[in-house]
Amino acid sequence: MQDFLELTVSAAASGCIYGLIALAYLLMIRPTGIINFAVGEWAMVGAFGGYLLLSKFEWPYPLGMAAVLVFMLVIGWLTERIAVRPLVERGAPLLAPILALLGMLVVFREAISVSFAPDPHPVPYALGIQRQSFFIIAVTSVVFIGVWLFFERTIAGKSFEAVAIHRRAAALMGINLSRVTALSFAAGAGAAGLAGLLVSPNVSAHYLMGVPLAIQGFTALVIGGVGRVEGALLGGLLLAFAEQLTVRYAPIPAGYAQGVPLLLLMLFLLLRPTGLLRAK
Amino acid sequence: MKNLLAVAAALLAASTFAQEPIKIGVITDRVGVSKPYSEPCTEGTVFGAAEINRRGGVLGRKIELLIEDDQSRPDISAALARKLIDQGAVFILSMSLTPATQQQQTVTMEAKTPQMTPMNSGDTLTTQLPNPYFWQTGPLGSIQIATLLAHARAQNLKRVALISDNSDLGQLLARFFRAGLEKAGIQIAAEEVVPRGATTAEPQMQKIRAANPDAMFMAGVLTAENVLIFKAYRQFGLKFPIHSSYNLSVPVYMSVAKGLIDGVTFVDAYDPDKPEVKQFVAEYTKATGKAPFNMHGYGYDGIMMVAEAIRRAGSTDKEKIREAMQQTSYAGVMGAKGMKYRFPEGKRAGFDPDGMVVRVYEGDRQGRVVHVGQK
Repeated sequence: MQDFLELTVSAAASGCIYGLIALAYLLMIRPTGIINFAVGEWAMVGAFGGYLLLSKFEWPYPLGMAAVLVFMLVIGWLTERIAVRPLVERGAPLLAPILALLGMLVVFREAISVSFAPDPHPVPYALGIQRQSFFIIAVTSVVFIGVWLFFERTIAGKSFEAVAIHRRAAALMGINLSRVTALSFAAGAGAAGLAGLLVSPNVSAHYLMGVPLAIQGFTALVIGGVGRVEGALLGGLLLAFAEQLTVRYAPIPAGYAQGVPLLLLMLFLLLRPTGLLRAK
Repeated sequence: MKNLLAVAAALLAASTFAQEPIKIGVITDRVGVSKPYSEPCTEGTVFGAAEINRRGGVLGRKIELLIEDDQSRPDISAALARKLIDQGAVFILSMSLTPATQQQQTVTMEAKTPQMTPMNSGDTLTTQLPNPYFWQTGPLGSIQIATLLAHARAQNLKRVALISDNSDLGQLLARFFRAGLEKAGIQIAAEEVVPRGATTAEPQMQKIRAANPDAMFMAGVLTAENVLIFKAYRQFGLKFPIHSSYNLSVPVYMSVAKGLIDGVTFVDAYDPDKPEVKQFVAEYTKATGKAPFNMHGYGYDGIMMVAEAIRRAGSTDKEKIREAMQQTSYAGVMGAKGMKYRFPEGKRAGFDPDGMVVRVYEGDRQGRVVHVGQK
């Protein structure tokens, strides 16, 4: 029983990280249709922001966290301006910005790789090693509730939904598509950067940390579905519980358990490509 | 008289460096997974080359390093070896991952160009290809586990746990650990893998806790994943001793695993009390402004052995360098006190099987040597 309780907390925390990355994907996919695989690198940038502000300059945690969040919003907005908007304005096909963002993935990783020593960099815990999982769960809950309220209860959120449902009709209704796209990228970077900051006390800030997070987040997105905000969190939690319960309890050799996420991804793509939760 | 001597020395130096430099190729990893190890190793080589040049060079000629980055990718490493040979490199030092070094051998064997890795630890590098132009001076994986097991043997272990990551090298080391433990008659009560990119190692450590081992052996080489293991170990309040591969010998753990590693023993090829190490640390620190660690020592020893072989060969003829290299007997920075790199007849792996040490973390600091060699 002790094992199960420990595992529940651990899997919930991991699931929250996956859920935040899935949310980053979702915030951009819904209004634009663009899959941005650079979200993992954004998480890495957030982790390095935590290293700089919290470890190196020893800022108070809330201030450092807020600064990283603001920085990530700016990074997301800039990414959209540099890599996405010029292509969209020239009428490029949807694949063009996706490829451009893959290029940005390399730019982010190499920029960090040449700017910092190659070793992992320590990031401090918000509330100590024993309470980090609870902190991750609490922050993620606040983010998801906030995003859910934004989409469900505000006019601006409804405008995002309108763009997601029909871009041209939304434009005809006077919704500023460019602004919605820019904000979706800014919010996506904010969610991804937050995930990186939250996970970094456990895994350290490292220039190769982005790709695994991007894959885990994408798997969570496929499981939960791109239609609803809560789907991202549900997908993340299901993925993390499946991973950790398999490692702990499944009677299979060590190492095979790492195939579980891939298996889940394939199953959902084959049997329920829309994910668990469909758009309302 | 003093002025005359100064002019003579200046003329001698000028004539030394007026000649064509001796080109040594270096294939390293600047952006890939081996970067944390390759970069300091390369820095050690660069420092060593500068020292050699400062002391007058080799055969009256300056050493020039031609450095290439293969990102630890075997698919481009062979092409880089070819490029370096075309640019006139008479020797190639390989400092990225083992598979990339292996791939370079296909070129150096065909082009009959001497090649050496001062840091790779894969056991098969000198046995898979009959390449008389290749040498390895990094300590073999099998030596590491044998040294660690020799230390553990004294503790009368009956049941142990083995944990690693899913990287190629981590799996390779886990295989060596498993074979060594089985050979020593020690039961592996639990064996776990923490995959690259994991966000926790708690489920794996729960299984190990349930197996109640006498000790745990760590074969993983991925720093972040190893830190997850230490965190779970501390969170669960576990008490069994941890014995680790050489991966714990890199100093990054002192900062990223702060407060988590006290008492962990690890195998190393670096004895901080060795006179050669003290001299190297002092000179490197003075020249660069930062203190070196063991990976720098591998690169430094590598270029020193190459320079020594060219000096003994008396020319840059590759065949003569090959013959001189095989006769190497060199006491460097790495290895236990008194260790010499040698290539016994027919062998091209030169790290003395009794040259490794076991050290222990004291607090967050890499501490004293607690065991030497395999006895």
